[in-house]
Amino acid sequence: MPTGTYRNITGNLALAYGLIAGSVQSGLKLFLGSYPITPASDILHELSKHKAFGVTTFQAEDEIAGIGAAIGASFSGSLGVTTTSGPGIALKSESIGLAVMTELPLLVVDVQRGGPSTGLPTKTEQADLLQAMFGRNGEAPVPIVAPRSPGDCFDTVLEAVRIAVTYRTPVMLLSDGYLANGSEPWRIPELSELPEIDPAFADSTNHGEGDGAEFWPYLRDEQTLARPWAIPGTPGLEHRIGGLEKGDGHGNISYDPANHDFMVRTRAAKVERIAESLPPLEVDDPGADEGNGAKVLVLGWGSTYGPIGAGVRRVRAAGYQVAQVHLRHLNPFPRDLGDVLKRYDKILIPEMNLGQLAMLVRARYLVDAVGYNHVRGLPLKAAELAEAIGNLVADAEGIEVDLTPHGALRDGSLASSATLDATSGGES
Amino acid sequence: MSATDLPLPLIRSGIESVPTVPEGQAAPTGKDFTSDQEVRWCPGCGDYAVLKAVQGFLPDLGLRRENIVFVSGIGCSSRFPYYLETYGMHSIHGRAPSIATGIATSRDDLSVWVVTGDGDALSIGGNHLIHALRRNVNMTILLFNHRIYGLTKGQYSPTSETGKVTKSTPMGSLDYPFNPVSLALGAEATFVARTIDSDRKHLTSVLAAAAEHRGTSLVEIYQNCPIFNDGAFDAVKSPTTRDEAIIPLLHGQPIRFGAVGPDGLGSRGLIRDAVTGGVKIVDVGDAPDQVSADDVLVHDSHSPDATTAFAISRLTDAGRLHQAPIGIFRQVARPTYDDQARDQITQAAAGVAGSPSDRLEALIGGGDTWTVA
Repeated sequence: MPTGTYRNITGNLALAYGLIAGSVQSGLKLFLGSYPITPASDILHELSKHKAFGVTTFQAEDEIAGIGAAIGASFSGSLGVTTTSGPGIALKSESIGLAVMTELPLLVVDVQRGGPSTGLPTKTEQADLLQAMFGRNGEAPVPIVAPRSPGDCFDTVLEAVRIAVTYRTPVMLLSDGYLANGSEPWRIPELSELPEIDPAFADSTNHGEGDGAEFWPYLRDEQTLARPWAIPGTPGLEHRIGGLEKGDGHGNISYDPANHDFMVRTRAAKVERIAESLPPLEVDDPGADEGNGAKVLVLGWGSTYGPIGAGVRRVRAAGYQVAQVHLRHLNPFPRDLGDVLKRYDKILIPEMNLGQLAMLVRARYLVDAVGYNHVRGLPLKAAELAEAIGNLVADAEGIEVDLTPHGALRDGSLASSATLDATSGGES
Repeated sequence: MSATDLPLPLIRSGIESVPTVPEGQAAPTGKDFTSDQEVRWCPGCGDYAVLKAVQGFLPDLGLRRENIVFVSGIGCSSRFPYYLETYGMHSIHGRAPSIATGIATSRDDLSVWVVTGDGDALSIGGNHLIHALRRNVNMTILLFNHRIYGLTKGQYSPTSETGKVTKSTPMGSLDYPFNPVSLALGAEATFVARTIDSDRKHLTSVLAAAAEHRGTSLVEIYQNCPIFNDGAFDAVKSPTTRDEAIIPLLHGQPIRFGAVGPDGLGSRGLIRDAVTGGVKIVDVGDAPDQVSADDVLVHDSHSPDATTAFAISRLTDAGRLHQAPIGIFRQVARPTYDDQARDQITQAAAGVAGSPSDRLEALIGGGDTWTVA
């Protein structure tokens, strides 16, 4: 474990703390509009205790009003947040589209549970990824991030705040019931480690000179493609936004066909631009540096991090090579993901759904990723996962795989292995 | 679960916390509130009259233009914000009250207005409307009632009369309509009024009272749709019928209407109906079959009990309109949601020491901790 001061923390608590940290780091008042729903309600409960930070918690009449109020608060210069689970996202979809169109910072937290419909409210699942990605009318791209562990909820929600504020966009954070209620030792970060987030409110006109100077709400930052955020109370920047298509730059209603095509592509490009701000992927492939890299990559996202790691360690403990990458950013994908995927012969994507990330990865990178899918409302099992990884290793390397510890030495399929001891054991 | 007695904040004016135009600066005019956008309603639409009235009235508030926000949903009326040189959001169908709740709760220095229609407010947005009213969030809701869907070209609305033949109801509508005033009163509204698009003076006076009211003000505006529901409000607009059709409500005044009688007031009036517990219309005068002027109900819009206001609202025709009370039904002071939400934050922060960063550090570092060296 890295050195530092530790405490135990659940995912929902880390999320609530991360939201407060996002508020402190950005100087924006936090406004939560939420409707009670399992397993997300604890975030509402926790934040309602912290009004001393200037936090407003609004328990709305329904999911739609929760996000509506959050959008109103964002328009007014707060950090608007709404928290829910999958059924709530379904209800909020039209409003998320409004936030896409109005290009306002907004956080949408989905603590996923078993679905569809009411499904398994107290059980965990990862089946809202495609809903987050595509569940709106029109071309409505939304950045998506997902924490990998309870403690990682803190960092991931801060990253979501950074993206939302910097790029003026709704951001979806996909937690799940396993993370929400699960607990782990968490190294308490130093404040100096937290990102500074600059709301950079617009305070002056941005188009034309002298008497003709105007404020154009859709004149974009060249680097981020973000539009200016001018909040009510700012003189001279009065403007109207809304769900109708906007003319590029001036932001007035536009039905011009070329403008619509341009704006659709620009909104998509803005979300893609976020990838430029992301660090390179961390690829866990212990033999790669010595030219003894794995042929099989296990790619995951969200709460499967723990079971995948445990499964990978079992396979390595048996003496075989396998690489692991875990995604925090699901939209846009990190820029180097395509290159990383192409380095491996086989890609396994374990998910608690029927293959949603696998579908996105296959479509985007044209790689033959294989799914490992269980939707039992329970976390994946490390032993079963190790089996699946082992089968793929056998396939990729043309060998028999024996997953008992040091099995590779016993069956002689791998004469020498670099990773016998260091990573053995340790699954939880 | 226990309940706690909330401290009662001072009841203030609806716009008291909103910055005003600095002294010495030229007072804004209606033109200053007019945006450069072309108005796109049908010729003859009542929306034009309301827009003109609002543009003409806003300068009277004396507020800084940048501190005024108009929010709308979807429908003909919801294009309203585009035509005003203030901050504005044309949002999605029915949701404007929820968005306005977020604006009003997060900022007390804004004058928040919602522009909505009968379909937007009462059909798809009915839930948000009633909850905004009961919470009493500081905003003014202008409900343009055409009793028809206009933007989607002529289907019946939640205020259309039963039996109405429209594109979607060729054999007549089966829906019983809402009475928006009754609905608002039932939803614990603190300010409920009704006015008419073509009566600019009355409209403006109601707008002024609504803006002054701290809390959710609901103003139903009878409005003609010349294309899809022409003449729906003729009874209250036509010079030949309106004296009989309009039951005017003025706080502290006896409720009298109709042809002027010998005492200079309308020859008809409202009295309490001992049988139903409601109110009824009677002929006022000294004849044996008339009711004495002294017994006519005096309108009390400030009554803490909404029962009489509700009874008066029921005099509105549910079918084709021949008669309707017009004016302020109810205007009572009750703490607002947004003021109280801000007060709780102030209370929670009182006496808390340290910068936000220090307190964040203490928060996340709290509980049982251990050190890994």
